[in-house]
Amino acid sequence: MLTDLDKLLGSCLLEIEQCKSLKKIEEIRTAILGRNGKLTEKMRTLKNLSDEDKRVVGAKINEVKANIIEKLNSQIAKIEIKELEEKIKEEFLDITMPVSVKSSGFIHPITKVFAEIASILSGYGFKFEDGPDIESEHFNFDVLNMPSHHPARTMHDTFYLNAPADDYGCKLLRTHTSPVENRAMLKNKPPLRIFTIGRVFRSDYDATHTPMFNQVEMLVVDKDVGFAQLKWLIGDILKKFFEVENLKVRFRPSFFPFTEPSAEADINYSIINGKMKFGVGDKWLEIGGCGVSHPNVLKDGGIDPNKYQGIAFGLGIERLASLKYGIPDLRGYFESDERWRETFGFSPAEL
Amino acid sequence: MRFSFNWLKKHLDTNLSLSQIAERLTNIGLEVEKLIDPNEIFKKFLIVKIQKAEKHPNADRLKVCNVIDAEDRTFQIVCGAPNAREGLITILALPGAIIPSSNEVLKKNKIRGIESQGMMCSYEELSLKIENSVDGIIELPIGTPLTMSVGDALNFDGGIIDVSITPNRGDCFSVLGIARDLAAAGAGKFIDHPVHSVKSSFAFPIVIGKDNSLELSENIPVMAFRVIRNIKNIESPDWLKSLLKSAEINIISSVVDISNFCMLDVGTPFQIYDLDKIEGEMKIRFAKRNENFTDFSDKNYKLQENMLVSEDTTNKPLCLLGIKSGKKIACDENTKNILIEAAVFNPVNIAKTGIALDANSDSRTRFERGVDKTNSQKALEIVSRLIIDTCGGEASDIYILNDTIYQPLIIELTQRKLQSISGSYISLEKAKAILLSLGLNLINENKESVKFSVPSWRYDLNIEEDLIEEILRINGYDNVKEIPLKSFITNEDKLLKQKNKLSNLKKVLAFRNMSEVISYSFTKKEYAEIFQNHSKLIYIINAISSDFGVMRPSLLPNLLKTASQSINYGDKSVSIFEIGNIFINDCEQHLHISGLRIGNASSRNWLDKDRKFDVFNIKSDLFAALDFYGVNEKNIKIETNTPEYYHPSRSGSIFLSKKLIGYFGELHPKINKMFDISDRIECFELFIENIENNKTKVKEYLSRVFPKIERDFSFVFNINDKIGNIVNEIYKLDEKITKVDIFDLFKMNAIQKSIGITVVLDAKTRTLTEMEANEVSDKIIKYIENLSGKLRI
Repeated sequence: MLTDLDKLLGSCLLEIEQCKSLKKIEEIRTAILGRNGKLTEKMRTLKNLSDEDKRVVGAKINEVKANIIEKLNSQIAKIEIKELEEKIKEEFLDITMPVSVKSSGFIHPITKVFAEIASILSGYGFKFEDGPDIESEHFNFDVLNMPSHHPARTMHDTFYLNAPADDYGCKLLRTHTSPVENRAMLKNKPPLRIFTIGRVFRSDYDATHTPMFNQVEMLVVDKDVGFAQLKWLIGDILKKFFEVENLKVRFRPSFFPFTEPSAEADINYSIINGKMKFGVGDKWLEIGGCGVSHPNVLKDGGIDPNKYQGIAFGLGIERLASLKYGIPDLRGYFESDERWRETFGFSPAEL
Repeated sequence: MRFSFNWLKKHLDTNLSLSQIAERLTNIGLEVEKLIDPNEIFKKFLIVKIQKAEKHPNADRLKVCNVIDAEDRTFQIVCGAPNAREGLITILALPGAIIPSSNEVLKKNKIRGIESQGMMCSYEELSLKIENSVDGIIELPIGTPLTMSVGDALNFDGGIIDVSITPNRGDCFSVLGIARDLAAAGAGKFIDHPVHSVKSSFAFPIVIGKDNSLELSENIPVMAFRVIRNIKNIESPDWLKSLLKSAEINIISSVVDISNFCMLDVGTPFQIYDLDKIEGEMKIRFAKRNENFTDFSDKNYKLQENMLVSEDTTNKPLCLLGIKSGKKIACDENTKNILIEAAVFNPVNIAKTGIALDANSDSRTRFERGVDKTNSQKALEIVSRLIIDTCGGEASDIYILNDTIYQPLIIELTQRKLQSISGSYISLEKAKAILLSLGLNLINENKESVKFSVPSWRYDLNIEEDLIEEILRINGYDNVKEIPLKSFITNEDKLLKQKNKLSNLKKVLAFRNMSEVISYSFTKKEYAEIFQNHSKLIYIINAISSDFGVMRPSLLPNLLKTASQSINYGDKSVSIFEIGNIFINDCEQHLHISGLRIGNASSRNWLDKDRKFDVFNIKSDLFAALDFYGVNEKNIKIETNTPEYYHPSRSGSIFLSKKLIGYFGELHPKINKMFDISDRIECFELFIENIENNKTKVKEYLSRVFPKIERDFSFVFNINDKIGNIVNEIYKLDEKITKVDIFDLFKMNAIQKSIGITVVLDAKTRTLTEMEANEVSDKIIKYIENLSGKLRI
């Protein structure tokens, strides 16, 4: 009997050892340990034995059973590892296959520059103000010290609209963002620091002009601001915008009806390896107009020019964008095709 | 204002070079737009004489020339010009010279086997505009000394300066005025030429009256007249032609040329009448309404009241005063007797007339910016002296119409204001010196302030600030030190927050693979009419071109134009959006956002199935935008009536609590045709102002999760039933319904579709019972069956 059991154990272990699949091993287990299994059969014969034999054979059967179970488990583990290895092999993917990298569209450079300027100006306490694109003569000219038939009005080639004129005169497309100055002064009490960014329109269309462009305009009204503060402010803003600490700014006398004195601000640059580099060299590039607010402009804004003074600065967004990011043709801004957007646009994550 | 350096030197005694003068001009606000320095341009050019010109042995049309320069050096030049001949004096470019027309450096080379040591130049190659240009190389006048500088030979007159004059500086529309400003800025000494009166030989011979209506008008001009008799209106002398050419003024006849020269020189425009063409007496009056006037170049004008004219006894206008000379009294080569008028007009009146008639002239430019109020007689003496010296003749007395005495404006300059505007200290003493050098006169002064009178040529000095600008300008803006702004505390910038919200919306869309476009605020009329949707269009009266004729009533036309262009360039897929204003009705402007998708949903690749964008792509873009604005999808209702530019059965209007907030869907096939786009166009328009800005809500978080019950239904609907709206209604049936999704859709036949709906039920604070779930299910079934839907088992 004990020899039989040893034989059975030997043959079972061999069978398990040779088994290669989980399904088969389950069959083997049933064949050995199942209700009619070989070992189960042996257990049933126990009842016919003497107490002494029962004890000896019983112990042997348990030993054999434990051995078989251990062997089964270890073989199952082996097979599982093997099967997993095979599965992994089968799951081969050519991970060098190319994938699409472009995951987003592009943000227009004007939006990007708007965000940059707004963030710089907020730092000085400037608050955003808005005005309509369709203006009247009153806001676009009259309150900016440009009475009708002032020759300066012809400097701005104005688009007039067929809408009926009202108390504020003919309707037109604003030629500059300066009307917002008046609107802001009427709305707020001095001292104030405001800025605006928006579309302006002039009847001009060639390689360097588009009939629409964007301007940023800022105004400070306070008791102690003058040309000296204006120079500092513009220099500081431009240094931050162009991210050039040693940028030089030159102020040239100019004329705007709404400022007295008026100036044009230039920044220095030189061409290095065919590229414009700012803050080095002694070439000058015009960047914007500025000045001390004309007393009539303050008066029209409801501010006493004997108590307060204003300083104002305006410049073109496209020009800023073009200079900072090397965007050549102005027309591309408004007639962009996909290549232009891809080349000069920004990822939304950069905004 | 264009003039030569030598001309300037007639009024300015200076040691500065041309480029130093140019720099100084820019620094005092007279911006130099163009500087032509002949010594720079013609560094490697010579004046040469052709000694020998023989046929090229290897080419029929070429010649081999030997030329000689002032130092007797000879050069062998191969030349193709037909006029290259022995004895011709012309201009030679040496190797190394930059040829102005091509901007290229000339190299020594062999032409058909014969070495050419330079190039003889044509006017075109030097980028020079010349009337009656010869065919071939430049022909300098016989006798031109070879020692002359090339610049002088070509009438560069020491160099050309072109200054852009700002509208406030009428006084700088003359060489004299510019010299005066330069002198004040320390660039030299102003040469004040004494004016010698012309001896008058006879009394002023013609009656010139003025209409009574002028008497009380602010537009009454101050006018000085003189007659010169027995002149010969010959061709102008060379010195005069050369100066006028340097200023790019056309040469006409000596009388006209001299008056043009004097205007450029001293700033007062002149009107010259052929005296013999004036019939009877002359009178100054306002024009009659719609009165006809023909100018010297045969252009006709319909005049209006308030425009000033001169007339003779025929009562027809002779001249449009201050702006245009008339045809009738124009001088020609037979002119013998002339009447010269030098006047000062009200700038506003001239500007109004000029704008109304769209009539431009050098005279208008000066009068509307302000001509020296006391210069008329002096200018008349200068111009008549020059005419008599050139054309002979004798002068009459000067006749003055409406004599007035100049009353200068007095302005007080205070140390306080000077300090506060400049922001830094400038002594009154220094300020005084600057203003005096500009021609202002001292009235009186004390420690704190100085009073000045304004000279008759400065129309732009009216208030104290104007004087301060002059002081800073002449002293140099560079000399104002920079002072930092003080820090400034502000409260929350709500408008900027709104703007930033738009920027963030742009990010949302860009992350959805759409690119931002910024297009013009105007569009083509034909496009606008398609997209106007019953609103009134706003037209631009003076549009640049028909492409920009109307304010856009929608963002779509310009987006479509952009898309169409991209597709034309070969793009298979376009996904773009714009946020901007549209303009309709009575100058209303509304902020819109519009997105557009056309073509392939992804570029052809091995991962995705090829598929075109459809309505549901754009719908999810739209709902992403709405979600960004905190709009709850459940509050949205979609109707199917849309503007006619949409595809009638593939588009919808979006309502948020009964307010129309936009449209979306496919565009009508006629739009495809119009913009030459073959793929379906999916787009949305959203009216941002109509979406109420939802405030951030405090949300409730339930940390304990109770089991949810999910129920699936399958219903049969009519093919046209609007399932999206039904879904929103299902939400309203019971508050335990937390999610309604469509998991299946198929078309059963032409009139029916099957919809699989899954509903999630959740009591949130407790476990839902089976019975409650059944109740809700019954509600849903009942609701849908009431709508004519049927439950499929």
